[in-house]
Amino acid sequence: MTQSSSAPVAPPSYPRIFERSLLGHRSDPIGFTVERGAIRFFAETIGETNPICLDERAARAAGYPDIVAPPTYAIVIEMLTYRQPSMDGRKPMLDLINCDQRRLLHGEERYDYAGLIFAGDQVEVSSLVRAFEDKKGGALELAYVDTTIAHAARGILVTASRCLIHQLS
Amino acid sequence: MTVPNNVGDAIPELSFGPITRSTLALYAGASGDHVKIHIDSDFAKAAGRADVFAHGMLSMAQLGRLVTNWAGIDRLRSLQCRFEAITNLGDTVRCSGTVVERFQQNGETCLRLAVSAQVDNGTRTLLGEAVVAVDPAD
Repeated sequence: MTQSSSAPVAPPSYPRIFERSLLGHRSDPIGFTVERGAIRFFAETIGETNPICLDERAARAAGYPDIVAPPTYAIVIEMLTYRQPSMDGRKPMLDLINCDQRRLLHGEERYDYAGLIFAGDQVEVSSLVRAFEDKKGGALELAYVDTTIAHAARGILVTASRCLIHQLS
Repeated sequence: MTVPNNVGDAIPELSFGPITRSTLALYAGASGDHVKIHIDSDFAKAAGRADVFAHGMLSMAQLGRLVTNWAGIDRLRSLQCRFEAITNLGDTVRCSGTVVERFQQNGETCLRLAVSAQVDNGTRTLLGEAVVAVDPAD
């Protein structure tokens, strides 16, 4: 990207909140065991009726090793990188980038699936602060965070891309 | 896979709700998303909201069900959405999807679906797309 040296850059109309120095930061990988009860609780809560997400016998009968996580179960693993470090005395991702929960909105979410997640899986999760952006004359500020969920033998299972928004006006 | 799978075909619709405080409390626990604006009315009102409102991801979960009820979980290659409006207490989330493209990707025949969610007053809350793999003969 090029920027003319003569073009004055208007100061943002609103004070920014996201911690912009975190651009490019990748969180230390966190190991996580996917629990059967947690998948079932999630599945029941969202109204999932597919028996392979609820009943291990149905899952095994369908040829899977255990119950299968519904597609957006990735949020549970994704949220872990946002919260888990606090248990280790480190700042979780939401605090690192200085999210203000009073002004926070979820802008976009994208999941790319390379493999299914099963109960019992050991996965490794890591997040990258990919970009910051200002919109509507600085009334909105956006943060883009990408999270990968990988399995030692089966490789990357899911890549999650999230856009978080601070409503500054 | 079962029909419909031609460009322009709609897949079976799905609805979820009405959304209650219990729904949001359970979803916060099940998802690990503890952002207070969805579960703490005092916090939401202090932040200038009329009340708590639903997690966008709860509606996205319904888009996931919409597509996988039809295609099967193992067929889903991507799911993406933009959150356009909030979903309030009492709303029922109605999800629909239409096949918009058949294409090749990573050696697979895939269908792209336009998917969306709306609430009772007709406001569209989520707009996105899903990609599912299909048998070439389908």
